[in-house]
Amino acid sequence: MHYRRLFFVFAVLGAVTLGACRRESPEPPAPPQEQEDPGPDLDSLQRVQDSIAAAEAEARRQAELERAQADARATLEQMVFFDYDESAITPQAEQVLRQKVEILEASPNVRIRLEGHTDERGSVEYNQALGNRRAESVREFFVQFGLSADRFQTTSYGEERPLVNRSDEEAWAQNRRVEFVITAGADQINPPNM
Amino acid sequence: MRVTSLLSTALARLVVVGAAIALALPTGAQGQDVEERFPGVSLGITYDGREAATLAIQPFTGVSGGEEIASQVQGIIGRDLRYSNRFQVLDSLPRGISRDEVDYGLWDQIGADFLVTGRVEGAGITSTLVVELHDIVYREVMDRARFPLPNPDSGDFRMAVHTAADEIVYWATGDPGIAATRVVYSQRMEDGNQELWVVDFDGENRRRITDHASISMSPAWSPDGNRVAYVSYRTGLPRIYELNLSTGEERSVPAPREGDYITPTYTPDGQSLIFAVVGGRRSGLFTYNIVRECCFANISEGPYEDISPTVSPDGSRIAFNSNRLGEGAPQIYLVPVGGGQANLLSPYTPGRPGYYSSPDWSPLGNRIAFHGRVDRGMPHQILISEVGTGTRSNRLVQVTSQGRNEDPSWAPDGRHLVYVGERNWGRGLFIVDAVTGNERTLVSGIRPNVPAWSPSLASGVTADR
Repeated sequence: MHYRRLFFVFAVLGAVTLGACRRESPEPPAPPQEQEDPGPDLDSLQRVQDSIAAAEAEARRQAELERAQADARATLEQMVFFDYDESAITPQAEQVLRQKVEILEASPNVRIRLEGHTDERGSVEYNQALGNRRAESVREFFVQFGLSADRFQTTSYGEERPLVNRSDEEAWAQNRRVEFVITAGADQINPPNM
Repeated sequence: MRVTSLLSTALARLVVVGAAIALALPTGAQGQDVEERFPGVSLGITYDGREAATLAIQPFTGVSGGEEIASQVQGIIGRDLRYSNRFQVLDSLPRGISRDEVDYGLWDQIGADFLVTGRVEGAGITSTLVVELHDIVYREVMDRARFPLPNPDSGDFRMAVHTAADEIVYWATGDPGIAATRVVYSQRMEDGNQELWVVDFDGENRRRITDHASISMSPAWSPDGNRVAYVSYRTGLPRIYELNLSTGEERSVPAPREGDYITPTYTPDGQSLIFAVVGGRRSGLFTYNIVRECCFANISEGPYEDISPTVSPDGSRIAFNSNRLGEGAPQIYLVPVGGGQANLLSPYTPGRPGYYSSPDWSPLGNRIAFHGRVDRGMPHQILISEVGTGTRSNRLVQVTSQGRNEDPSWAPDGRHLVYVGERNWGRGLFIVDAVTGNERTLVSGIRPNVPAWSPSLASGVTADR
């Protein structure tokens, strides 16, 4: 194993040197893999190996980017929850919303519909208003962090679309929520800027 | 024999009085119990202590084919009159007593104040119901009318019979009956969607009137009973639509400003809708002329939510629900229909604000029903507040006490209310008579939301005297 790693380091150094010498090559240097038995025509073999390595690296980068984008999307779509009869942002919700802010800053084309929900207690119609107020609380949070208000639309389903169809404290806590529906720029979600 | 009859009559009346006391006592006791909970509540129900008149129904007869449906018609009318809560109804009488002449002496002995007789003439599409109301004390016919009856298989048949029942109530009391009415409500379906349903006042003829595979809710009747305004999420956002019940055509309220368009109600002229637009930094009540399709205008606006408007029958004032006094503590307010100073109606107490919601203005103009509770954890109950000409009334009554009850809507007689009730056995729509406290189940075994009681729908069938 040690030998392999050593060889890998040398190979990289060699590739870098090679790359530096060949200005005409548009390919960025990349670490070749598994060079157990270099053939006689070192130069052409090296070119093939370089391009394979570059493609693999590119695929890896792409996969990582996609994973990061998927993570970002999951974070954007993560629900936040509220206390009974309240529309104030809880500390737990704030943590989630701060992560969303970072993603939204890096993804200016993303637009979101904020859908407020309530538990089943209280008045049906008052709960429609309460759900909307929860969605507005989230929008205001985003605006305070410098995001443009018109990237967000708010609406409410009141108590009519419960996440958990039971009548107990646990279900009610799950049902008092704002959901995040991406309405534009879903293919332009960027992970947070570092 | 005569003495025995008189004695049994007297006994029967004692039983009636006893029943009235039995009814009044527990509810009165609840009233006192409740007084500690609802500020200003004085009595459970507005029981007036008067003995209800005894109304007997002589078995209906039929001629020329009318025999076949005579007892069915009588059954519908008998139940209608009982559900009016205005009479002690005697209608389980032996068939042998049926005849065309009225024996006033016999009915007097039985203890009847009123007697209803009925005859169905003819069958099929040409039949006619002849109804008479007799005053037993004066031994005379008080009123009579002929009602054309549609084919018993048609959807209008029961409504035509209900119309006759309402006429009887009007003859006997001078007040409108409510048998020829319906209730519209939304029902949560298996898939989580909600559709609008309509049911006759006696729980019959239940049917679905929307099919949007979405959430349809908060229905309101137009004053002529031909249209229903409601909220639908069919586009993904709650918007207000109006369904014409006879043509099936729909109109919609435009959405010129951002927000959720919810809780529509009609103005008494049937021209305009008043509704809430909730969202953005300011919410408010708005109006739109749905007939002329114009004139979107603002009534109230602020950094709080004004919702669930209901208009006084004279069209001068609006009652609505708002969280102006704090989140989690909605209250009922009154405001002039043109906008202006809003005054508190619900029994708000500083430090213990309570939660009051879903007002509905009585068609008689003098009272507003809503639901609420004082402290968290208490079940919501139906409350009625008097509406004076002043700003705030302290006369408040609680008309339900079992389970939890929400979203009341007045019948056109201004004394019955329909509402969503939850009992330990399930949910349904219930009806209470605010005068006697009598409660009955209208629909059960479903999950209903926000009902609305129609105006009288009897106009389609006119009495021919």
